[in-house]
Amino acid sequence: MLIITRRPGEKVMLGDDVVIEVIEVSGSSVRIGIDAPKSIPVYREEIWTAVRDENAAAAKSDANLPEDLPLKT
Amino acid sequence: MTTETITLESSRFGTVEVPAEAVVEFPTGLIGLGGRRYALLARNEESTFVWLHSLEDPELALPLTNPWQFFNSYEVELSDDEADRIGVSDAEETAVYVTVRAAETLEDFSANLRAPILIANGHGHQVINQAPDAPVRAPLFAGTTEAAA
Repeated sequence: MLIITRRPGEKVMLGDDVVIEVIEVSGSSVRIGIDAPKSIPVYREEIWTAVRDENAAAAKSDANLPEDLPLKT
Repeated sequence: MTTETITLESSRFGTVEVPAEAVVEFPTGLIGLGGRRYALLARNEESTFVWLHSLEDPELALPLTNPWQFFNSYEVELSDDEADRIGVSDAEETAVYVTVRAAETLEDFSANLRAPILIANGHGHQVINQAPDAPVRAPLFAGTTEAAA
């Protein structure tokens, strides 16, 4: 992993189009700003991981799904 | 006039001819799974579950459902950035699905309310729902398993 030291207000470029800026450092939190093209979705990693895992689990579903199911009311 | 069809190869369903209008392009794929071209398959108009099936990978398919069939008060809230990114403007024209994790028993079936799939005009996006109380694993049949047995 590349590790870079930056101060608030300083930025990192990912390629030509993605800019990551350190906005503020406060205690154990860092606020960062991300400027990316619309074609690149940006996620918090833990949400991305949870959704990836659910997608993978859904994709393991058997072809025979029940029909005529009791619906929640 | 003949309806244009596309041949879909499926490890689950064999070779299926699907109408061209069932094809959904995902510009950024599904989160963590990728894939750019899928088709929506349903047994019939009233099916509780539909399949989002890859046109590129015969093994890749996810069951989806209409979240309001199970969760009456479900809401989808998008951040401004995300709404802008996917270009959703007309909620009336946008179909909303959630992915389903099927299981051995009905009580273990769940839906991902956090990351719904929005489809409009043949284009699909899996988005992060900002609404509170939108878990990634919401039981579909909690409390109804006895009725189902």
